[in-house]
Amino acid sequence: MLREKIEKHLLSVQKPSRYIGGEVGSIVKDKSKVDVRFAFCFPDTYDIGMSHLGMKILYSLTNERENYWCERCFAPGEDFERIMRENEIPLYALESLDPIRDFDFIGFTMQYELSYTNVLNMLDLAGIPLFSRDRTDELTQIVVAGGPCVCNPEPLADFFDIFIMGEGEEVNLELMDLYHEMKSQGASRRDFLRRAACIEGIYVPQFYHFYYNEDGTIRRMEVTDGAPETVRKRIIKDLDKVYYPDNFVVPFTEIVHDRASVEVLRGCIRGCRFCQAGFIYRPFREKSTEVICSETKALCENTGYDEVSLASLSTSDHSEIDPMLTKLIDYTAGERINLSLPSLRADNFSESLLEKIKKVRRSGLTFAAEGGTQRLRDVINKNVTEDEIMNTCRIAFEGGYTGVKLYFMMGLPTETDEDIVGIAELAQRVADLYYTIEDRPKGRGVQVSVSTATFVPKPFTPFQFEPQDTREMIEHKQKLLLDSVKTKKIRVSYHDPNVSILEAVLAKGDRRLCNVIYSAWRKGCKFDSWSEYFRFDRWSEAFDECGIDPGFYANRRFSYDEILPWDHIDFFVSKDFLIRENKTAHRGETTPNCRQRCSGCGVNKHIGGRCFDQTESCI
Amino acid sequence: MIRLRAVFEKTGRAKYISHLDLNRCMLRTFRRSGLPVWYTEGFNPHPYYSFALALSLGYESICEILDFNLNEPLPFDEVRRCLNSVMPEGMSIRSVSEPIRKVTAIAKAEYVIRLTADDPERLSGDIERLMAGENILVEKKTKKGAKIVDIKPSTEIISCKASGNISELVMRLPAGTQTNFNPTLFLDALKNADTEPFEILGVCRTAILCENNEIFL
Repeated sequence: MLREKIEKHLLSVQKPSRYIGGEVGSIVKDKSKVDVRFAFCFPDTYDIGMSHLGMKILYSLTNERENYWCERCFAPGEDFERIMRENEIPLYALESLDPIRDFDFIGFTMQYELSYTNVLNMLDLAGIPLFSRDRTDELTQIVVAGGPCVCNPEPLADFFDIFIMGEGEEVNLELMDLYHEMKSQGASRRDFLRRAACIEGIYVPQFYHFYYNEDGTIRRMEVTDGAPETVRKRIIKDLDKVYYPDNFVVPFTEIVHDRASVEVLRGCIRGCRFCQAGFIYRPFREKSTEVICSETKALCENTGYDEVSLASLSTSDHSEIDPMLTKLIDYTAGERINLSLPSLRADNFSESLLEKIKKVRRSGLTFAAEGGTQRLRDVINKNVTEDEIMNTCRIAFEGGYTGVKLYFMMGLPTETDEDIVGIAELAQRVADLYYTIEDRPKGRGVQVSVSTATFVPKPFTPFQFEPQDTREMIEHKQKLLLDSVKTKKIRVSYHDPNVSILEAVLAKGDRRLCNVIYSAWRKGCKFDSWSEYFRFDRWSEAFDECGIDPGFYANRRFSYDEILPWDHIDFFVSKDFLIRENKTAHRGETTPNCRQRCSGCGVNKHIGGRCFDQTESCI
Repeated sequence: MIRLRAVFEKTGRAKYISHLDLNRCMLRTFRRSGLPVWYTEGFNPHPYYSFALALSLGYESICEILDFNLNEPLPFDEVRRCLNSVMPEGMSIRSVSEPIRKVTAIAKAEYVIRLTADDPERLSGDIERLMAGENILVEKKTKKGAKIVDIKPSTEIISCKASGNISELVMRLPAGTQTNFNPTLFLDALKNADTEPFEILGVCRTAILCENNEIFL
């Protein structure tokens, strides 16, 4: 039995409780009574994957169906992987401890580009053929993927049988129902894939073929097997009615976000032009205060967590934020539960909101300013003014905070040295502001942390056409920023440019990148998002061997009229709108948020009406 | 405030829960149980509870001691049932009672160690020989660094039975606030004594005892 084999080695690895299951809230079924088995795989370690909310939702949702069984599977740490390979322990799921190669579905959630090699490594550990074309024609072992990264599925197209576009609550079960039906009829894999391709939100890459121009751009795409020309993402219309788990699997070992988490809204009204999440999760939908509170209560009671966080892209954009927090804090304070609010915007951060936050947490405050000058913030449509940033910081300092963290992006379209120096100047003004506050904490200095990320152009954003800065440009800007900071009260941190370059290539790549990913994995690349594992030299070799120039994807401006690798995927936001927004950006003009005025992004065509009630007052 | 002492077991998959993780796990178990657990009254109120002895990662036990407080008296059996309904797999409360002795009264612990060897009879002989020697010197890591200690005077072998290729060793070792010897120290010494090769199948703590060999409660 596999369990004995696993247990024999478990005490020689770090944090063994990650590999044996048995956590409170995990769901074990009698497999003889189960018709379809789904291995939900997160392509990173347990500590990270177990923090992912989407997995918790789909895990519980699938397991609500008596005859379907969803189990969890994560990438093993290096120590356990070595033991698994030496002792021929195949990758297994944590509930049954059965090998995932025996499952009906092996589903990965693609949350970040740098987890792509982990997918290959996990398939290999499982003993499942890496390439879709090498898998059996029997109806079993269907390898699927969902999550934000698959909005451009092409760099992964050769490895997956199916991609699921958009929100999975409905479509996952539809797909499993079809499988269940066809399995009992003795259908083949190809029969199943053909029928699956007709489900809205399902993309079967092997039915789509690409032809390229001499300059490397896409000439045309051909669709076979009756699959649709474009694949539209799926959304849930009413968040108050959609399934939400009343229990989570509670891990023994500490994970990254070790707490209950309640989703308060999906989508974002803001339209920051660099932000993929802000476009691919449209339309904006929120849960009512009542539902949020009852879900919070159920989760806390069932898991025993003493911390709950509100999950969204921008919690303060909830139309009932004040009454919602009042009601929530009533409950959490009484139960000695810590409430955490990770996503608040700097421009609608009221004093009453801060009063509420102060009740629940004493940790640092973080504001995403993104751009160092107003001109650049207008270009990216980050509709936050310096006055608003300063005002928010003033409220925070007056409230007793002695440090703030400011997020910026570097390498944004139209950015000049002046904008970089602007980051340092803005941070300096925030630091200076602290000393003008009369009742600031006595004898304590201020700490302004400036955290900079390198801009990565992403599909389905107005900046999808933009080239990324080259490594030389990024390094120059990082140095310039460091040189512009004159005080120790400001601490600057930034990323390895190579990481951002690889992200851009994998985000905007086409199907020809599958071989590069495969080659990089063969050379030992895995856990690319962990700095201690990231080996850009091996990636460079892989690009060279495959004859692929990463600059073609990262540093080239994609023209408005070229066929983009993701043009056949429909995330509701129209390409015309993205082009219009791109032009507006280059004019340095802003676009109002969705509550203020509809900008015609195209989403409303798919939801049969307006995203916001016209009678709703503008904010 | 009502002081209570629970005896619980930690077996099966629960043996992979480290002591640090067990703390967090217990906090959540208390919260799930809905019991009126007493909270400390300091700056950062938290439920008060403590484990009498730490258990090494990978060891099973049927006799772990957990002390905690409730705000109001409840029947012991109700407290037990309440906690058991929300405990993780492999962990369950065997009994709840009032604490009788102070934790400092703990002097030793008994372990059942299952070993596998080609010739367990020979292994039993090896164990006897090791115990018959002048001393058993082992290196013990402490906070102040490693030091050499003689564990022989405080090691008690209760029994050593062989059946098939399995040898079951029952032994007592010092435990508690003063001296703590982990069975691993003895097993390492055994391994180094050029004996019949063996593998450890499992270690289970079966009793926590006072100096006079009475069960600690």
